[in-house]
Amino acid sequence: MLSVNNIVKQYAEHRALDDVSLTVEQGKIFGLLGPNGAGKTSLIRIITQITAPDSGEVIFNGQRLNSNHIAQIGYLPEERGLYKKMEIGEQVLYLAKLKGLSTAEATKRVRYWFEKLEMGSWWNKKVEDLSKGMQQKVQFVATILHQPELIILDEPFSGFDPVNAEIIKNEILELNKQGATFIFSTHRMESVEELCDSIALIHRSKKILDGSVEEIKEKYRNNTYWLEYQGEYNTELPSDVFEVLQKDIRKGTTTLKVKIKEGQSANNMLAALLPVVNIQRLDEVIPTMNDIFIDQVKTKD
Amino acid sequence: MNKILLIIQREYLSRVKKKSFIVMTLLTPVIFAGFYGMMIYFSIQGIKGSSNKIAVVNANKTLTEKLISTNNATYTYVNKPLPQMKAELATSGYDYVLYLPDFSLDDPSGIQLLGKKQAGLTLNNKVADDVENAIRNQKLKQSGLAQKDLDNLKSSVDIDMKKIGDTGKEEDSSAGASTIIAYVGGILMFMFILLYGIQVMRGVIEEKTNRIIEVMISSVKPFQLMMGKIIGIALVGLTQFILWIVLTGIISTAVVKIYADKSMAQSAVSTALKKQNENKIIKEATEKSPIGNIQKSLANLDVTKIITLFLFFFLGGYLFYSALYAAIGSAVDSETETQQFMFPVMMPLLLGYTLSLSVVTNDPYGNMAFWLSMIPFTSPIAMMVRLPYGVPDWQLALSMALLILGFIGTVWVASRIYRVGILMYGKKTSFKEMIKWFTYKN
Repeated sequence: MLSVNNIVKQYAEHRALDDVSLTVEQGKIFGLLGPNGAGKTSLIRIITQITAPDSGEVIFNGQRLNSNHIAQIGYLPEERGLYKKMEIGEQVLYLAKLKGLSTAEATKRVRYWFEKLEMGSWWNKKVEDLSKGMQQKVQFVATILHQPELIILDEPFSGFDPVNAEIIKNEILELNKQGATFIFSTHRMESVEELCDSIALIHRSKKILDGSVEEIKEKYRNNTYWLEYQGEYNTELPSDVFEVLQKDIRKGTTTLKVKIKEGQSANNMLAALLPVVNIQRLDEVIPTMNDIFIDQVKTKD
Repeated sequence: MNKILLIIQREYLSRVKKKSFIVMTLLTPVIFAGFYGMMIYFSIQGIKGSSNKIAVVNANKTLTEKLISTNNATYTYVNKPLPQMKAELATSGYDYVLYLPDFSLDDPSGIQLLGKKQAGLTLNNKVADDVENAIRNQKLKQSGLAQKDLDNLKSSVDIDMKKIGDTGKEEDSSAGASTIIAYVGGILMFMFILLYGIQVMRGVIEEKTNRIIEVMISSVKPFQLMMGKIIGIALVGLTQFILWIVLTGIISTAVVKIYADKSMAQSAVSTALKKQNENKIIKEATEKSPIGNIQKSLANLDVTKIITLFLFFFLGGYLFYSALYAAIGSAVDSETETQQFMFPVMMPLLLGYTLSLSVVTNDPYGNMAFWLSMIPFTSPIAMMVRLPYGVPDWQLALSMALLILGFIGTVWVASRIYRVGILMYGKKTSFKEMIKWFTYKN
């Protein structure tokens, strides 16, 4: 639904985005990852039409991005903000109407969401009277109220307590089920693994990795296993099947981290071990997004 | 377009609903009306003065002409010696004793005014005048003039100032009234532009520090947001101004009416003659006093024209400056950082204000006045100051056209700085930086 093609954005002395291309598929949750200052916010600002790229283009639903698309995009910036002196209900209504909703429709939806997220009594309160978490909730509602096709959330869970984070996460999943496409911008990897279908990793203004989460994990599996057994086996002996990376013996139980050598398989390793020891556990070490992220960022530095 | 309207609506309503706005709007006309009422009150009181009962002890053998009583001083001739009067003064019901010794008419000396309290300067002068008049009348009679000749000598001179307009028609004018209108117009204009311009700046800074700007800019164009804010606040200013005029009008009328009613009630208990007298005094007071004069000239000044032009120049000047204030607001992170930018924007406004109230009021048709009222930086104030003295139509038209061009210019420049500035955080902005923003392509 959204494709970003060869975007370049140059600020005075600093190139914020250097030939970045990526595709977000309809109905998916897309993670935009990268360390601070990598260029994530610059890219989001281009997609939300806050700024324009120096070169390259953004295609939204087959059309070049233009001001008609504003109503189909919802954006929750990392730096949250609301009018402090304005009443909550009025404020959300205002933001919804700016996205093109009629007063009646906006009122109906604000009431629905306030009810749903247990914010019903907040209508006449002022933003300055709310806690930070409550303000986040208000802003989340303001972001999704106009039922955008594409919802862009910059660090959506920062500032939420675990209970509210869970509520918001469930709302995101539900909206996603109803067909909304999401872009998450974050440097917190746990949420990525839980929610995202695919990701792009941006580092130093360039995209260095993208694809579906499974594909990437698949790509970064490197035949490493956790192995636990009881019994005696001389790990010092050289083997052409595997290599021991880490060893730990506790109360007669040995825990090994092993890497299977090229052309071999876990079965071959087991075949070698089975006659000697009593196997208790065999786990493949699947790299977390966090590992991949750190690995990628480090290798590019 | 619809979005701009929404923004205007919010900017307008959020300010008009504020308590401070309501209080300011309601209180200011009360203060205005209070001043106005006080001015009328004192001008009438001043003419009427307090009535002083003066006992005259005339020991003079040549002065037979009597002192003439007026409202300020009633003279009663008593046939008692001075020491007795002095002793009885406290119980006699008189306020003062005027002692006229046996002086020669050519050298009146030794006159005494003795009172329970020290006589004020006004009363002293008044009594001296009355004695002088009596002596002069006596002398004139001695030289052979009859009473009717004396009455004939009296004349009252009143100069009616008229200005000849472009068409050759006479127009009433009063330098005093023009100056007051000029001052009030100039000060109001300065105040309004400054107050509301700064409100625009505060609004922009508020959006920036609250970090709502990014949400807003993902919905509307920066230009829409800036113009919506500027227009919304302009409407707040207009609302306040119009309410002030209406409320001041209502309250002033009420005050004048109450005062008039009170004097009517007072005179109802008096004799018909006194009533007539009193009404005449009030009428005279309002006509003769500077206030009355000003009221008369006010009626002659084209108030509708002045108010209409005030509104135009307020809008023009406000748009001109508020765009600059919006640009400043966009370039800083907090209000404390605005100092360095405020100065160059405040300077021309302040200069226009001080020069208008000094140079222009002294010479409203001079070169300085002309240029100050043409340059958009100073024209709103200078023109308001010149207006009551009369400005040729072509100059008005030129000044208005230049102001319109001026604010289109500042709005254009400001919007280019604004669109970049609002998204910049954490950097101290310099003028060099702002010029760079201005040249950015979009």
